[in-house]
Amino acid sequence: CLLAGSRLLKGYRGGHVVIRFALGGCTNRPFFRIVAAHSKRARDGKYLEQLGCLDPLPNVYGEKVAGLNLERLRYWLGCGAQLSRPAEKLLGLAGFLPLHPMTVTGAERLRRRRAAPSAVDSP
Amino acid sequence: EGKTAKPSFTDEAVQNLLYKMTGLNLQKVFRPVKMELKPPKYKLMTEAQLEEATRKAIEEAKEKLAMPPVLKERVPIDDVLAEDKFLEGTESTKYVFTDLTYSVPHRERFIVVRETNGVLRKATWEERDRMIQIFFPKEGRRVIPPVVFKDENLVTVFQQDRHEDILNRCIAQFEPDSPDYIRVHHRTYDDIEKHGKYDLLRSTRHFGGMVWYLVNRKKADGLLIDMIQRDLLGDATSLITLYHMLHPECPSAKEAKERNLQGVDLIKVFAKTESQKEGYIQLALQAYEEAMAASTAS
Repeated sequence: CLLAGSRLLKGYRGGHVVIRFALGGCTNRPFFRIVAAHSKRARDGKYLEQLGCLDPLPNVYGEKVAGLNLERLRYWLGCGAQLSRPAEKLLGLAGFLPLHPMTVTGAERLRRRRAAPSAVDSP
Repeated sequence: EGKTAKPSFTDEAVQNLLYKMTGLNLQKVFRPVKMELKPPKYKLMTEAQLEEATRKAIEEAKEKLAMPPVLKERVPIDDVLAEDKFLEGTESTKYVFTDLTYSVPHRERFIVVRETNGVLRKATWEERDRMIQIFFPKEGRRVIPPVVFKDENLVTVFQQDRHEDILNRCIAQFEPDSPDYIRVHHRTYDDIEKHGKYDLLRSTRHFGGMVWYLVNRKKADGLLIDMIQRDLLGDATSLITLYHMLHPECPSAKEAKERNLQGVDLIKVFAKTESQKEGYIQLALQAYEEAMAASTAS
């Protein structure tokens, strides 16, 4: 069924390989797959390779389980793949890449927001 | 000082002795096991073919009786890779990252935990075992260790005489150097020694480990009496030889080496010098000798 206009054998003008999250799972139960795909593809569509997974809901032990196939990740990064921002943040948390600056900025902003109401309330 | 180095479980001499003591009861090794129901197959064989089949069965039984390793308890992992204290309070739960590279052995896999206080540390052994079972499941192993391995439930298992089953399940569930594996094995061996149920493990792969445990703690008297009562004099002498190999400074070992004793004399010397249950051993030996005399007379 590989016709000229088929969705499977698509050729794009422009576009690049990205490593991003593909959402799966059921209602009120998300599950992300860390995936290397063309940037023009649908978020959950055909990908080049699955490089891992992330379960955003904590398990019985209060952990969010994530798996990363570091060898293949290194291959795709060597091939020139881009990363989406959440993927960069996750890899920064994992220690594979240095911490994303927005993670640091986000932490600062949160701390300031938490400190601010108490400063506003007191006088 | 090389000669007086303590022999380990994996030494060839030790393994030979333990293998001889384990015995080879083909009926017990190949007893019916719960599996998919199939109609039985009957074969018509000549004497020669039957011998050939028995020989092959003995080879298979030897593989089944290979002893699981006895290792020291593993040292807990306690390694911090990064400290980022400003991340404190951003996340409400910790993240566990596992390296899913297929060609890496499980012992060398990177499994790290980013805590809520921003510390990036290596995962503990329990976390490692759980993650590896989630991503690379092994048959017979559960992600969370079953409740049956807790001490209060082990008591119930021992009352039902299912020591072999629980040991097989323990080998499937835990790594050989994990503290849970060692604890379950020691409890099982203690219970067997307390009630004298040595025959439960006799033709299984756990017998060697049990003998090693008992001889290291000098609790082998009950086992010795059991062997003499079942007329297994060869096994009794191998047990005492193993004891002398592991405790060369004890008086019975020195005496045995001086006088180069064999067989029943070795047991008598051991009973006189080392054992706590001397009376029982003497009684058992007497009964054995009477039985021997009666059988030779008749």
